[in-house]
Amino acid sequence: MQTTLNSLKKGEKAIIKDFDIDTVPLKLLEMGCLPGNLVELLQIAPFGDPLYLNINGSHVAIRVETAKEIEVDIIKTNLW
Amino acid sequence: MDIQEILAFVALAIALAFLIRKFFLKKKKSDKNCGDDDDCGCH
Amino acid sequence: MVSNQNINVALIGNPNVGKTSVFNQLTGLNQQVGNYPGITVEKKIGFCKLPNNVKANILDLPGTYSLNASSIDENVVIELLLNKNDKLYPDVALVVTDVENLKRNLLLFTQIKDLEIPTILIINMADRMAYKGITLDIPYLEEHLKTKIALISSRKGFGIDALKKLIVNYKSISSEPCLNASSIDPEYFNTLRKTFPNQLLYKLWLVITQDVNFLNLDRKEIRSSFTKSHSDLKRLQQKETIKRYQFINDVLKVGLKIDETVAKDFRSKLDRVLTHKVWGYFIFFLILFVIFQSIFEWSKIPMDFIDSTFASLSSLTADNLPAGVLTNLISQGIIPGIGGILIFIPQIAFLFMFISILEESGYMSRVVFLMDKIMRKFGLSGKSVVPLISGTACAIPAIMATRNIENWKERLITILVTPFTTCSARLPVYAIIIALVIPDNRVFGFLNMQGMTLMLLYLLGFGMAIFSAYILNKILKIKGKTYFVVEMPNYKLPLFKNVGINVIEKTKAFIFGAGKIILAISIVLWFLASYGPGEKFNNAEKIVTENTKENPLSEAEFENAVASQKLENSYIGLMGKTIEPAISPLGYDWKIGIAIISSFAAREVFVGTLATIYSVGGSDNEVTIKNKMAAEINPVTGEKIFNFASGISLLLFYAFAMQCASTLAVTKKETNSWKWPAGQLIFMSGFAYVVALIAYQILK
Repeated sequence: MQTTLNSLKKGEKAIIKDFDIDTVPLKLLEMGCLPGNLVELLQIAPFGDPLYLNINGSHVAIRVETAKEIEVDIIKTNLW
Repeated sequence: MDIQEILAFVALAIALAFLIRKFFLKKKKSDKNCGDDDDCGCH
Repeated sequence: MVSNQNINVALIGNPNVGKTSVFNQLTGLNQQVGNYPGITVEKKIGFCKLPNNVKANILDLPGTYSLNASSIDENVVIELLLNKNDKLYPDVALVVTDVENLKRNLLLFTQIKDLEIPTILIINMADRMAYKGITLDIPYLEEHLKTKIALISSRKGFGIDALKKLIVNYKSISSEPCLNASSIDPEYFNTLRKTFPNQLLYKLWLVITQDVNFLNLDRKEIRSSFTKSHSDLKRLQQKETIKRYQFINDVLKVGLKIDETVAKDFRSKLDRVLTHKVWGYFIFFLILFVIFQSIFEWSKIPMDFIDSTFASLSSLTADNLPAGVLTNLISQGIIPGIGGILIFIPQIAFLFMFISILEESGYMSRVVFLMDKIMRKFGLSGKSVVPLISGTACAIPAIMATRNIENWKERLITILVTPFTTCSARLPVYAIIIALVIPDNRVFGFLNMQGMTLMLLYLLGFGMAIFSAYILNKILKIKGKTYFVVEMPNYKLPLFKNVGINVIEKTKAFIFGAGKIILAISIVLWFLASYGPGEKFNNAEKIVTENTKENPLSEAEFENAVASQKLENSYIGLMGKTIEPAISPLGYDWKIGIAIISSFAAREVFVGTLATIYSVGGSDNEVTIKNKMAAEINPVTGEKIFNFASGISLLLFYAFAMQCASTLAVTKKETNSWKWPAGQLIFMSGFAYVVALIAYQILK
């Protein structure tokens, strides 16, 4: 099974691998959500949704349903 | 009719003209250009 | 004024980069706020004196993340930049960026550059560089971005003079593009170039991908020969974005250094508290509570002062001008009418002040984040919170603020329910009725009962908005892609200048927009109340004398009786009497009925209307509007007209009824259909009638 952005834990970092171009909004791409970029989960809203992320230096919040469309490689924190 | 009454009715005419322009002739104006209006009918 | 001799400067930038502060720094109070023709997007133009006696028109364009527009506001930017014939087409573009978000902000910059407009790059918030450990290699950046850079701080006000010098010398700025558009898809762009050899490739690309009006080209022609499927276009747009970021990353690798060890992180600490699952909500409601308490408490003294000033002004004119019709019109119609407008300045100014502080500080985005999941249960979006809160000022800009809600169903529901929130026009009505029927006591020593009632009314408005959203969400069958992207800007201390200018602009719009209507209506009302048809009006003295033959009245009582006999038989009295059967079950008399009808021009006219009616018909013992209303007595039952039951009934009526023609017009514009505003009018007003009826019948 693929790891997607919504499975990150608070404070975890990941590298964006791939996503479905038709479901991820262009605005998010413009914010820096592009393959190869670093993403960090900063906060999870009460009730588990939306997610507050730092994508490539941009601070944005997106819903879990969008995060599910974005495949990532989680970076093990002990390496950092 | 004294001067006061005449002036008062002039004021009434101005007020009526303003209200009619604002509420009944508004349509045409706003479709073309609303930029001259203070707030385009806000409030 | 807009003049052709002046340089046209367009201010462009992402949201939250301090673009408005830069605009305010350049123009001060020399601003004009209007709308773009045909659409309700705010158009702000300011004027700025530059060195060497050059003048500039500064156009503050709506904030946008890129030239790929996703809303009407963003469309405005592209349409202007693509249309060389527009009288505001910029001679020079200023792209405002935030030094902390330079990478993302430069995306828009590279797009503007590719339109081959001379562009100055403004790097704002430079005062935070040391704090964040940032160093910039300006000459390197200028060379590679092919521009001139103004390093400024619009908060601290430094760098503005240097910026002005750059604007004056705009002709020396390169208009060479940064990125070669054809590198996105060489084959595709080569055919494009062959077909339209005289057009800029990037412009063609924008026209193909966007829904904009482009005057020089027939879009259909391009479309048919170069159509691509939606997802193919998006793939190309993604490629474009990647190319741009590659270019930006390469430039910033050398031009921007961040020393992470120096950087201080205030944001994450504050975020942890403000978006906390308990503290987050607690703080949010505390803030709302403080706002509504203070609107009532702080406004009281200036409001009472304005009220009594106008009351004494009114009696002063009546006593000192020669007696006659005009004097009466001035003292009973015009002065109370103007007083009825000005009295609400304190409350409206406070309200706009709080809203602009919430938006300026960056807190509003945290509320969006905090509320999204909850709001979705009601078919709304977290972003609906912004219209619902700014709806407390005016539903019109609030409905326009729904444009950044991406999902159509969520947006439509937000538009439909926003008018339930307590707008500033309801405030005057609430304020005066609360003051009349709710005792000015304190509970637990600090909670003001009147302030609490006001807060309850605001909560009632929000509650009703959310409840109807829930119902609409069940009824409406609209499917659409849902997505939600919201930027979480850095926290900023709100700038006094920005908040101040905003408050002044909005208050001015209220006084001159609503004020003119209120004034005109009070003049008309005075005439309708002072003249009447037939015997009963013209022979009022005789009739009163005959009716009171058995127990003669004192002189003052006689005069009052004549005045009310006249008022009841004046034109307005006859109109009011006609509708009285419909409203008396709600606890209102015909005078309130007239005030409600005139409220359809603007809700706040209610108070002015009553003030005018009571001035014409009332006793002279009571001078202020409030006291006049308090003294009104029902001639049949001998009870006060504004008692607890009728007061609550009125409050509820005003809370729910749709009484704003301008809001209906905006709803029509934003939804492109008469169906929705008609629904608002019928449902909201019908509901208001029923609720007010039930409340009065229970409480009386």
